[in-house]
Amino acid sequence: MLWETIIGMEIHAELETKSKIFCSCPTEFGAPPNHHTCPICLGLPGTLPVMNQEVITLAIKAGLALNCEINLYSKMDRKNYFYPDLPKAYQISQYDLPICKDGWIEIDVEGEKKEIRINRIHIEEDAGKLIHLEDEPNSLIDYNRVGVPLIEIVSEADLRSPKEAVAYVKALKAILEYAGISDCRMEQGSLRCDANISVRNHGQKELNSKVEIKNMNSFKELLKAMEKEEKRQLELYQFGEGHKVIQETRRWDSGKGRTIPMRSKEDAHDYRYFPEPDLKPIILQEAMVKEIGDTLPELPHEKTIRFKGDYGLTDKELEILVGDKALATFYEATVAKAGEPKAVANWVLGDLLRLLKEKEIDSYAIPVEPETLGSLIQLVDEGRISGKIAKEVFEEMFYTGKKPLEIIEEKGLKQISGEAELEAIIDKVLASNPQSVEDFRDGKKQALGYLMGQVMKETGGQANPKTAKELLEGKLSS
Amino acid sequence: MTITIDAIKSAIEGGERLTEEIILQFYKRIEEREPEVNGFLTLCRDEALERARSIDQKRKKGEKLGRLAGVPVAIKDNISTDGMKTTCASRMLEDYIPPYDATVIKKLWDEDAIIIGKTNMDEFAMGSSNENSAFKVTSNPWDTKRVPGGSSGGSAAVVAAEMSVMSLGSDTGGSIRQPAAFCGVVGLKPTYGLVSRFGLIAFASSLDQIGPITRTVKDSAISLEVLQGHDPMDSTSYKGEASSYLESLEKGVKGLRMAVPKEFFHTKGLDPEIADSIRASIERYERLGAIVEEVSLPLMEESLAAYYLISSAEASSNLARFDGVRYGYRTKEYEKIEELMEKSRSEAFGKEVKRRIMMGTYALSSGYYDAYYNKAQKLRKIISLQYQEIFKDYDLIISPTTPILPFLKGEKTNDPLEMYLGDIYTININLAELPALSMPCGFSKEGLPIGLQLIGNHYSEATLLRAAHQLEQEIGLKSPIRKEEV
Amino acid sequence: MKISKEEVHYIAKLAKLHLTEEEADKMTEDFEKILSNFDAIRGVDVEGIMGETFKTTEAPHLRKDEERVFEDKKKLFQNTLDLKEGYIKVPKIIE
Ligand SMILES: [Mg+2]
Ligand SMILES: [Zn+2]
Repeated sequence: MLWETIIGMEIHAELETKSKIFCSCPTEFGAPPNHHTCPICLGLPGTLPVMNQEVITLAIKAGLALNCEINLYSKMDRKNYFYPDLPKAYQISQYDLPICKDGWIEIDVEGEKKEIRINRIHIEEDAGKLIHLEDEPNSLIDYNRVGVPLIEIVSEADLRSPKEAVAYVKALKAILEYAGISDCRMEQGSLRCDANISVRNHGQKELNSKVEIKNMNSFKELLKAMEKEEKRQLELYQFGEGHKVIQETRRWDSGKGRTIPMRSKEDAHDYRYFPEPDLKPIILQEAMVKEIGDTLPELPHEKTIRFKGDYGLTDKELEILVGDKALATFYEATVAKAGEPKAVANWVLGDLLRLLKEKEIDSYAIPVEPETLGSLIQLVDEGRISGKIAKEVFEEMFYTGKKPLEIIEEKGLKQISGEAELEAIIDKVLASNPQSVEDFRDGKKQALGYLMGQVMKETGGQANPKTAKELLEGKLSS
Repeated sequence: MTITIDAIKSAIEGGERLTEEIILQFYKRIEEREPEVNGFLTLCRDEALERARSIDQKRKKGEKLGRLAGVPVAIKDNISTDGMKTTCASRMLEDYIPPYDATVIKKLWDEDAIIIGKTNMDEFAMGSSNENSAFKVTSNPWDTKRVPGGSSGGSAAVVAAEMSVMSLGSDTGGSIRQPAAFCGVVGLKPTYGLVSRFGLIAFASSLDQIGPITRTVKDSAISLEVLQGHDPMDSTSYKGEASSYLESLEKGVKGLRMAVPKEFFHTKGLDPEIADSIRASIERYERLGAIVEEVSLPLMEESLAAYYLISSAEASSNLARFDGVRYGYRTKEYEKIEELMEKSRSEAFGKEVKRRIMMGTYALSSGYYDAYYNKAQKLRKIISLQYQEIFKDYDLIISPTTPILPFLKGEKTNDPLEMYLGDIYTININLAELPALSMPCGFSKEGLPIGLQLIGNHYSEATLLRAAHQLEQEIGLKSPIRKEEV
Repeated sequence: MKISKEEVHYIAKLAKLHLTEEEADKMTEDFEKILSNFDAIRGVDVEGIMGETFKTTEAPHLRKDEERVFEDKKKLFQNTLDLKEGYIKVPKIIE
């Protein structure tokens, strides 16, 4: 039997504002507990919300970037439920009139393009953070995050595999980053995804019970969680226990590598939404929306087209580079300095990405300046250092932030270009490798490579490869 | 001469009296009257006297004094005062001390007013008699066996008993006007949004409005000039120009068009003494040159339903934050956090509060939203449009404030519905976001005050106050409690 | 409109209120009385009336995106029942 997986995503993205949605507390991440709080975001009695205008602007931007229709009349509603991370016992959100609706984005899974529809984008406030202590009868609350502005982007259930789900979130993340809507740092929780997943027989019209999965904090986790849940449901259906797939919320436990039902959601939830009486409706003018649209910067798909045309990069290179705004920005700045788009791509996608991964550094915190990498590439280009040495220099640059020339100087990595000096070394190499010399003269041209290697070895890699090769060839053919 | 804002201000400015002496005199009066009236929940004698001395210093140095210099003000205990307990007369907030001042409190400080204490009220402003306070029942100063009305009963009683010159109340469905009527003082509910709600502990956000309770209409005008104005902390606050009311107070009512809704006089349960007194006032207005005409404004019983559904729904959400987790009352014994919340709320909220939370939760719960809350909102719109229709042809509407005279304590506590019916003349005004004022217009044979309600169009407080002032002068009501000169 | 005691208990649960059986009985009785009165509202013709657009006469009041810190943290948390190293300590919450 053929099975089909149906996935819809709900993405919460923190908006890149300086202050919270309804009060002036900073939104900055990493402050001491409860430091970014005030009577308003703590929901103290008598306080009132006042909407941050930047929230409206960013939400509209998101809508436009995701091809949505902007509702010129929308409103805020209260979603009522008791939970200690919610100091007012209601979340100010949008219910039946969200600010944006009916959008779409294009995703690309292994070369296959697909359009994913977006049902709606609404504005809401974030909740606080609960910390559960092991073996202690208490939990701790940090309200720094409460009232940080969010947009919730709800997709249609158009995704058909865990891979598509990942591609969708990646595409969305790139767009939000490019448009300056959210910094999308998944590890800090500024981009969070929940997924609704169900499986059904191929050709079956109606949907089976869907399960909501929460707490997937990276693309890797998202993929794993989706695959695990897909498998769990499939197995239940295949073993005639389909009734055990119930509509519920499950938490992804990355440590245990499985999804676990969430107990707090046992209560039938009745959120008793009603229009927020403390805020007036959001009434927008067409002209204002257009003005905001005009400020949208180049978006990923536009960048892909431009990079392809200007720099001649491959699809794979483009996917990685454009998919990461910080990396793309770094790439372009480096090309501006050094030219050589291909060489820069090799550096950025090669050594740089490898080191970032090894050291678990995010691309927005690249410790190398585009100018320094540019000048390193120029040094290689001018033949002043070899590619091999350049790699060594780059690592040093990465760790210390020093300039390439500085490193070369310090480590004595300067290239030996002096002919006399090189000639002496070459003579020595030829003398100690008579067999190779003979091979070469017998027509085995690959012996040249071996001899070049020996020269480089002898010079500790510092020989100017071009000069050395010319000299070597000269000597062999004489 | 009765104690008024003007009298106090000029006594201080002219150097006849020290602010400190005046405030001491009020505390002396409180000592005498409070044991019987029970209007205050908190007194702040030391702070008030210190404040008074600082105003005397200010005067000595020749600095300009504020518009309420030295005027004692009592604050309803649901308005947040920085550093001073704000309990909403609930066990839930028995020890709660706000870390900030409500916008209206800041405005009072800016004008050199002196806050003398916080007043009793129905718990979370839900009630019409002050019998729903968790701490005490305030008495009507005119007859201490009777209730002062509610929910701003304490605020009205302390002004009536001359323990304060001015007080702040809040009005969600009549909570300023009804106790003002019961206590024979002037209570003003401004247009929704004219006075900032920031710092007012919400009962029903779309209906709540802060307003002054004073002994004279002129004091009400002065108070409103101080309290009003756009507040960037309140999104529903009015952005228009702030008007001045004093200058037009003496302009007279000649040619003013006043509407009397005939249905208001056919309400079952309207006390004939009240009806007579209002009719007498209407005749006075005619003598003063106003054009008074009868109109039809059906008082729908449905509007009472709309009011209770909307206010309870909003209250159920506004009061959800009180769960014993962060601050406020916490139950002694619990295992899980759910139990903590449930028990804390059940133990700390009074009967009426619980009833309204239940009703509001029901009205909002899935399956009933459209039938109740949504429908009520639409009805609200219809009511508003009806009033707009009348204001096309008239400047003001005259009506009784309440259908009944101050009742005896304990007389109506058993039937919530009967209690709700007492709000029939006042709730529509909140639903339609209109301004209205209640002023004394006479007394019953038993000597109980009767309140007349004037209703104006949005932001027409100037007309409202002018008409009220003219009637007040014409009636020349004296305060029979005690005539004391400052 | 009839309301059952079970319904009253369900509403109480939603509202995080605990009612004793006696209280639930009384509440059911009160509810019936109040609601039967309120049912009048169901008959009102509201065709074509937009309830939610009640306050649309004025443009929404928006705040500039500017930071301001509430400095006096001691005062801010003066009512907090249990504070531990800056965190608000509460009984264990199970997810
Ligand atoms: Mg949400
Ligand atoms: Zn804040």
